[in-house]
Amino acid sequence: MREAPMLGCIDERELIMLGGLDVRLQGTYHRPRSGLSVASGGNGRVGVLFVNSLSLPRAASGDSAVHWANGVAALGYPAFRIDLPGIGDSAGHASTDLLDRINAGELAPVTDAAIKELVSRFGLSGIVVFGHCAGSVSAVYAGAAARDCKGLILLDPYFHLPQAKRPKLREELSGWARRSKVGGSLSNLYDRAKNLAMKTRGGGPPGNANKQLLGCWKHVASAGMPVLLLKAPGIKAQGTKPRVGEFDYIEYVLKLAGRRNCVSAAFVEGADHSFANRAGRVAVQSHIAEWLAMHFPLRNSEVKNNTVPRGSKDSADSIESKTADKEHCLVMEGR
Amino acid sequence: MREQDVAVTNQLHENETIEERAGYYPVSGAHLYAVLHEVAEPVARVLLVGPFASERHNSYLPWVRWARYLAAANVEVLRYDYRGTGESTGDFEAMTFADWKEDVTLLSAWLKDREPKAPLVLHGLGLGAILAGKAFDAGTGDGLLLWSAPANANQALRQTLMRWVGLEQIFKFGDDRQSASDYIRKLEEGSPLEVDGYRWSVKLWQESFEFAMPAALASEEIAAQSYTRPVRSVKLTRDAAPLTKGGLVGFDDLKDFSWLYAPNREWILAMALKGVGGIPYA
Repeated sequence: MREAPMLGCIDERELIMLGGLDVRLQGTYHRPRSGLSVASGGNGRVGVLFVNSLSLPRAASGDSAVHWANGVAALGYPAFRIDLPGIGDSAGHASTDLLDRINAGELAPVTDAAIKELVSRFGLSGIVVFGHCAGSVSAVYAGAAARDCKGLILLDPYFHLPQAKRPKLREELSGWARRSKVGGSLSNLYDRAKNLAMKTRGGGPPGNANKQLLGCWKHVASAGMPVLLLKAPGIKAQGTKPRVGEFDYIEYVLKLAGRRNCVSAAFVEGADHSFANRAGRVAVQSHIAEWLAMHFPLRNSEVKNNTVPRGSKDSADSIESKTADKEHCLVMEGR
Repeated sequence: MREQDVAVTNQLHENETIEERAGYYPVSGAHLYAVLHEVAEPVARVLLVGPFASERHNSYLPWVRWARYLAAANVEVLRYDYRGTGESTGDFEAMTFADWKEDVTLLSAWLKDREPKAPLVLHGLGLGAILAGKAFDAGTGDGLLLWSAPANANQALRQTLMRWVGLEQIFKFGDDRQSASDYIRKLEEGSPLEVDGYRWSVKLWQESFEFAMPAALASEEIAAQSYTRPVRSVKLTRDAAPLTKGGLVGFDDLKDFSWLYAPNREWILAMALKGVGGIPYA
């Protein structure tokens, strides 16, 4: 057993460490199919960076981020998944106010530092930041803060701040409404009353809108940065439209984006909020492939085998990169 | 430059003397992602055998912090992802309990073989408790620590299923809502089930009933009669969520767990001090 090694890289992946403003960030690099290695240049192509959704480790729910990163690499783009400070395997502390810190954009400086390091180290022309839910909030802030951020992929983004925790009785009422037919009917009535109140209030966003985030969104989207926005079916929602009585943030942010915007919004039928189920994974992969080809096309020489892996993480895992530079593997021998 | 490019060493911000090394350990048809919390002169070594599939994500932060907590007490720790999950490679759906049992055997042998020698403790949580228990029963390890050990793997699967169904139901109304029993019926009728992004095969479900904790580990008392090596079994309460059922990711996983860590670390240190079967460890 003494000779059994621990490898820093395997055929299609490498473990990387970033400086991240003095906090060491652990990440995984998925080599593009054309065999870009750490030491070689990125030939000016963009890379895709996956950031954490709240406190979930960088593999994300159901290892969906692994699946998508493999898919992006199979298309010919370098993909990186990193753990932000205090999350996953990275150093630092994540406190119980992590969500507040994300919503306030406090992770933007460290994300910006990570982007700069990736661009410089891998010779990239820029980075597309991929975020899901709270990760999409980090992505929008990073888009506004990082000069090297060239695009955003946002899954189920939200643009509001959480309201105070609902009383237990209210939680129980909601649960009952979801379970029973009578409760469901009463819930519909309540939605209509909320809708009426919202219309009376006017067309603006509600009081708990995240104005700082909306400001960053406007800055990024109105400047024409390519953005792919994907929405999963919501509770009692229809397509990208929210539940009756809820403010339509998607419509609002599309208006905010202005005439020069380059935002593509799509509804992902059959996905759940995590997008980790089979339907969600496949649809997201397909949207990403189409969107990257449209906004960040690769030169022919950069694409040796431009195919999307079939369906699962595992089929992507079986991709063999013949050009993987084994000399870059760090071997941890048993001492 | 090369060193920076392939760096897999993570020096902790709060404690620069403890190194964390991430790497891939090759096994048949896959690579296991493992992180070694390296200590120069360890008093003991611990292999952390974590919870099952989607439970990994829920419990990741307290699990990593536990590893760091032990490393700060001069205990070297190796944690890893099961074959086919997390950062490890492999096809989850094709995996069996035998594969995951082999992961424990291979990694514990690797850890045991490190120098300088130190007693090896296997620590399992949830399904990981059964995997660690089976390895221990087969003679691996000098001590065994179990957190929320189920009687068999089916109990662990049911717990994972219940947590997922609970989340699913938040997003569903009326007839769209399905109960855990509905999903179990589908599995028992021969249809695979996708739970939180992992596709459970019918074979996995069927085998889970038979993949049980060794009888000698049914309780600490029985274990004391069966082994000369120490065994500690802790049933985690709801306070330990999300290490056990319940709790919210992003909130409960960030809370202080020192009330749980401290007595378990003391047990490991005391075990290391006493040695195996009361004989100081050579």
